Amino acid sequence: MHHLKRESKGLDKNKAYFGVLDIRKLYRRSWSVARCSRGILLVLACLIGNSVAAQTEVNQQETTTPDLFRLERVQVDGGAELVTIHAKLDSIGGESHEPEWVPLVSVLRDTLGDSKLENDRLRYLWELTYTRPTFWQRVSGAVPFMYTHIGSKQHADKVPPPLMDLSAADRDVWNKICWRALQTILIDPVGTPIRASSRSYQQNITDLRRSHIIRALSLLTLYQELGHEPIFTAAEQKEIQARLLLTDKTFGGLVDELKLPGFYQKQASRVEDNVGHNWELLRQQAEANGLYFEPLEMPDGRATHALLWVAKSDLAKRPVERFDPRFLSISDPWSDKRLLNWDGYSDKRYFDREHRRIESAGPETAEVELIPLALYGLDNPKIPALLVDFRDKRNPKRREMSRRVLQDVTRNVLAVSQFGDIPYLLGRSVFDFVTGRRGMDINQPSRLKTYAQLKLLLSLDDSLEPELRSEISDRVETVSLNPMENSIQAERKLARQQYKALLAYATRPDGLPAKLARDRRAEMTPLEHGKLAQIFFRLANVVSFGKYSHREPDGLDIVGRLDLARQRSYHTKFLREVARTGSENSAKVELAPKIEVVWNLDQVKSSLRFLAEYGSRQDGKAVVAAANIFARTNDDETRRACLAALSQINNGKARSELLRISEQKDVDDDLRSLSVQYLANRRGTDAVTNSNTGTGSPDR
Amino acid sequence: MFSPDKSRRVASRSILLPASRLSATVWPAALFSLSLSLLLLLSAHANAQTKRLVILKLDGLPYDTVDRVVREQDPRTGKSQLPWIDYVFYQRGTRLENFYVRGISLSGPSWSLLETGQHQQIKGNVEFDRYTMHAYDYLNLLPLFVKGARGKQVDMPAVEVLDSLGVPLLSDAYAHQEKYSGFSVYQRGPRYLTLTNALQNRFKLPPRELFDEWTMGLETRSMVMDELIRELLKKLKDPRIEYLDLVLNDFDHVAHHNGDNSSQLQVLKEIDALIGTVWTTIQQTPDAERTALVIVSDHGMNTDPQIYGQGFNLVKLLGSSAGGGHHVATKRRLLLDYAIKGLIPFYDSIITATRDSYYLRGQSKEYPTAMLDFDGNERAAVHLRDSDLNLLHILLQQLQRKDLEARLRAPLTDAFFNVREHRRAEWQSELNELKEELGALNRSIAKQQMLFEQQPKQLTEEEKKQGRDDEINRISSQLDRWRRNEREYSEFARVLTNLLALKKDTFNAGRIRIEEIIPKQSMGDRNDVYRLQNYVVGLAPVGLVLNPAGSLDMERSFVRVNYFALLHDTTVRNNLQSRVSNRPVDFVATSIPAKSLAPLVPESDKLERDVVWAYKSDDKQALIFARSDDAGQLSFRYQPIKNLRQSTDGQITFDIVEWQTGLPLEIVEDPALSLPAGSTKEWLSQWHTDLEWLGALHRTQHSNGLIGLFETVGRHALAQQPTAGTPDEMLMRRFVQKQRDLVEADLLVLANNHWNFDARGFNPGGNHGSFLRISTHSTWMLAGGSQTGIPRAFVIKDPYDSLSFVPTMLALTGNLRDDRSLAPELTRKGFGPFPGRVVKEVIGKQ
Repeated sequence: MHHLKRESKGLDKNKAYFGVLDIRKLYRRSWSVARCSRGILLVLACLIGNSVAAQTEVNQQETTTPDLFRLERVQVDGGAELVTIHAKLDSIGGESHEPEWVPLVSVLRDTLGDSKLENDRLRYLWELTYTRPTFWQRVSGAVPFMYTHIGSKQHADKVPPPLMDLSAADRDVWNKICWRALQTILIDPVGTPIRASSRSYQQNITDLRRSHIIRALSLLTLYQELGHEPIFTAAEQKEIQARLLLTDKTFGGLVDELKLPGFYQKQASRVEDNVGHNWELLRQQAEANGLYFEPLEMPDGRATHALLWVAKSDLAKRPVERFDPRFLSISDPWSDKRLLNWDGYSDKRYFDREHRRIESAGPETAEVELIPLALYGLDNPKIPALLVDFRDKRNPKRREMSRRVLQDVTRNVLAVSQFGDIPYLLGRSVFDFVTGRRGMDINQPSRLKTYAQLKLLLSLDDSLEPELRSEISDRVETVSLNPMENSIQAERKLARQQYKALLAYATRPDGLPAKLARDRRAEMTPLEHGKLAQIFFRLANVVSFGKYSHREPDGLDIVGRLDLARQRSYHTKFLREVARTGSENSAKVELAPKIEVVWNLDQVKSSLRFLAEYGSRQDGKAVVAAANIFARTNDDETRRACLAALSQINNGKARSELLRISEQKDVDDDLRSLSVQYLANRRGTDAVTNSNTGTGSPDR
Repeated sequence: MFSPDKSRRVASRSILLPASRLSATVWPAALFSLSLSLLLLLSAHANAQTKRLVILKLDGLPYDTVDRVVREQDPRTGKSQLPWIDYVFYQRGTRLENFYVRGISLSGPSWSLLETGQHQQIKGNVEFDRYTMHAYDYLNLLPLFVKGARGKQVDMPAVEVLDSLGVPLLSDAYAHQEKYSGFSVYQRGPRYLTLTNALQNRFKLPPRELFDEWTMGLETRSMVMDELIRELLKKLKDPRIEYLDLVLNDFDHVAHHNGDNSSQLQVLKEIDALIGTVWTTIQQTPDAERTALVIVSDHGMNTDPQIYGQGFNLVKLLGSSAGGGHHVATKRRLLLDYAIKGLIPFYDSIITATRDSYYLRGQSKEYPTAMLDFDGNERAAVHLRDSDLNLLHILLQQLQRKDLEARLRAPLTDAFFNVREHRRAEWQSELNELKEELGALNRSIAKQQMLFEQQPKQLTEEEKKQGRDDEINRISSQLDRWRRNEREYSEFARVLTNLLALKKDTFNAGRIRIEEIIPKQSMGDRNDVYRLQNYVVGLAPVGLVLNPAGSLDMERSFVRVNYFALLHDTTVRNNLQSRVSNRPVDFVATSIPAKSLAPLVPESDKLERDVVWAYKSDDKQALIFARSDDAGQLSFRYQPIKNLRQSTDGQITFDIVEWQTGLPLEIVEDPALSLPAGSTKEWLSQWHTDLEWLGALHRTQHSNGLIGLFETVGRHALAQQPTAGTPDEMLMRRFVQKQRDLVEADLLVLANNHWNFDARGFNPGGNHGSFLRISTHSTWMLAGGSQTGIPRAFVIKDPYDSLSFVPTMLALTGNLRDDRSLAPELTRKGFGPFPGRVVKEVIGKQ
């Protein structure tokens, strides 16, 4: 499969430019459609989507790995590809126990129609079970204190909403801020019913998206861990995952891209830490209470959840004197008479002399009939999250509701804010501190994450007995507080339907190719306008709640210029990373370790040479990077490449760096003269350039 | 190598030692040594040109992990995943492939070896005094800073202990103004400026950086460490500073929590980047050619991405009725992160009360009967109250019962006095000694008070720079410690005196207050093997039983616990990981006085005073004998035995068995055992030096556990201890040694692989503390400028242990020749002969 991708990326530039011409046609068409009636066309497009898909020859290739995942790539006109992960999911609750392939995550990679990775851009990410809620789901979501699942969406034949635009993470930030401002300034003063209802709606919408982001994250991690054919480069993978994680933070979309791998690593370590601690905490509590602990693992071997069981034979003899419910959050099984006459699910297990579980009975094995007591999520801060109590269906839900009710009553109904009411701030802080510190399973962070993971686990873990899986699946739905959630079974159907719609959209000339072209025109904005204009356009985008996006007119050499701009951005990012390595501890750059020890200088020089050839005045970050690299290497060739890059960029910053270097006494005379020479040459060039160019990019 | 003003340091140390000790003993020795070794010293200087030592002390960094990751290629850069370690130590330096912790792989004790080069005097991260229950918390830095602000404490507790024993640290070889040390367990002097600067600099970031950090979650945990690194880099530029060290705990911290490779790789990369920065900074200093950069770790880490470390709660076991129903004192709070009180860093011992106590219900505060140090995870040290004190306590309680049957009163009284008489000689002797020592302590307090009063109240800035303020505070701090000692031990002595003063003929139990007879908050003496095998925990369910002769039936009247069997036979029902046993305990070790084995062991008169008994089961046991020759060379013999027992009269019996599989340390079955050709059991049965054993064992699963067991369980006399002095000085020396003896635990419990005893929290990522090779195999690498003589791209394959570190550092800087001849300046500072070998491969080669 991979070589086929290479083949498709191996198109020569001419072919790519032909692609551009096609895109321009598509742009014109889509623009006119937009001007007429965008909504009507979308409905029409959906209606005819299937026939278009049937008629269009789709460059569709599949890779199948024998076990769990399958990758599908669909070429999109205009130079992009839609990559989709399909998972083989086990049936839950139905009559058939046969596994089925379900598309779960799609990503659009804008390749500009060539094989260079440097100019690729990841655009949209779809989690295909994520749908727009139905009318009734939305209404229910707006009803305060409606913490229940009201039924699933049955049909999703429209193009699915992308979970995230990976190329414009910052857009999300401004939207959030705008909505918050709108809520606080306009909606909240209207009155309690409107405030409570709008806030409740917003909360549910946000939670719905979060829940699907978590699943997308888990799925991408799992796909990566199982060693399937890579969809993304390692750096891209970390960046996507970090971006998804940062959607939780208000300003997450504004974080510098260089910080993303570090952030991702920290979060990944935190997850490992949480899971390990909860695994151990539950095991010890199970041991102390005479119970049986069974971790449930994802296909990559990572335990994400755990079951607690009690042995039927122990119920009569009671192996522990006192039951300690701390951290377990369930009632005492030893005094529960229902368990003595348990008619629910139970399982026979065999253990050897060392109490290790074995598959079947044999000599010196003990047969133990176990009754499930509870299921917990391990990826949860501080304590395991109770998700299923087999004796009390509402127990986990009550615990999940405890924080939300408190929040909804105070904020949505009473309009009490921690920032505006000091007694409330103090009381709430103490309450949060005590419940949090003691690890009491009330008022804890939402179990949304581990709940979302459980849904994935139930689909992917074929080691669970179907009957038990079905029972867990039924019970876990009650944990959700979100009326907009769909059931596991419904989600599979919806995923298939949405994928079908997405494929149709990808192959329609006025569908994804047109959207891609529009996005590229928007991407052209920084290349055409100065900073002030860009701020203005951004402002317009924000105040219109994203409805207005400035796009450059068609007819420019979009692909060629984006190719250059993206490559420049790629090399700048790389050089910034190089310049940043190991300098965290050094107050002064010259104390930072030399880069040649850590990096392959050929790679560094190649990026510097690119900037030396195509650098632009807007590359302020590249100037800092090149200057730092100059200071942190002894390699003459690399230093010369730094000077050449600075000379090409030739903005005020670059010139002052060249001047500074030319005055440094500890720098070789040759390099100092070269700096002087570059400065002199550039002054001449400036005169010419300035007379030709007004504002914007020198690439024009 | 040393500047003249180093004499200031000598003065400061003299304050710590009993008065006039220096003048009486050290000065003549120093002068003699000076005249003898002048020529040697000069020649040493000519060979070794290392002027400056920069030591990065990396807590818990395992050699194997570093070595594996250095060899991995980073796909992004095409270079090693740890490019600086590769560049500095693999390409331009020397690394020891087989460097081990000697003793337990635990930070407190292990750093003590690396700091002093002397045998272990500190045996745990936490130690308890049996008589007073005073807890030495060696790892907690916060009290130093809080008490230090009031001038009540200057050094970390471990340093105070070593000072009291007269054992100097490596950094003591340098004057105050010639060294820079980061914060550590063996820290001298709190530095508040570091803390304030840390806070200020944490937020001195460009606005964009600050914004990003705030968005992603502001990290404050590394704030102080970042400041220490900044300080180190600054101090590297100061040519006057000749010794710099920095302790980095990050790997240890992360690996305890996370066993996954990527989390550990991340922290290794951070360490690697720091090494790059330090190396680059060194290269820009004028003394680069004469500077040695050293990284060393105190232990390895038993971590495996496929396995979660499992904890076993010994506090719960000891509190259970099967475990003796003890109220258990610990220094660490159980489930610390889940307790509100856990936020308070200043607390004395924490007592976990049990509801299963047989006779002390509701008296946990007054009468805890077990002390547990579970710090260090793969091992725990257990102190149990002297079983005879339990017996006396129970008998007294019974005798005070108003409903006690009259026929029982006399036999009970007899039993009470029989028990006391059985121990009288021993207790009386201890009491006499203690009283003598308390007398000397009182006189020393008076002298110390005078000394303190003589100190100047105002100091110049120059004096402060030289650390004079710390020296004065040390006097006051010592005074406080002695006063506390005097108070606590006097109370113990008072109650013991009362107990010994009881007379049977005037005895009236009803009039006695138990706390006046049985010391509160005290464990009393260590239990011998008999008492540990027949430990009295309470009255038998059948109650008091009389013999036909009318005396109390001591066997049937009491519930007894055999702690060796109890610990070893403990199993768990949740056995989930295929490579983890359902038995948390591997084996239990304790020391037996060599003299008590005299009739059974022919060479007993030549033995060190402690013999180690390792118990794996009734039929899998071993005795480890140690002896040293005139030159101080230690040798060991491992004797497989079974069924060791001690009778009430102290007589020990055991059966000698053949070498077999399953013995403690699992030596004979280990495929990595390396013995001379043609010999196995014969060689193993003989005496061998520690070096020979190290060579044979170091690659086995338990590495140098045989040597380590003796290092940890045995007590070690210090070679440099003066044998003469005033009577008070001798008494004070004996008193200090007694304090060390009093922290010796009854039992050292060793966990099975991937088990730990941490009850403070959870360590699913990894653990250390055992003798398992993965935990003892540590990192030691050196690199330096051309004049340091440290070989380039050199690998030392011979095994060494942590006793070699200090002598090698001193040899590298030209202050020690032939392992023995110290620079006179150092002898004056209290440095003595080192039992460890110098790693000669790194000295003077090019």
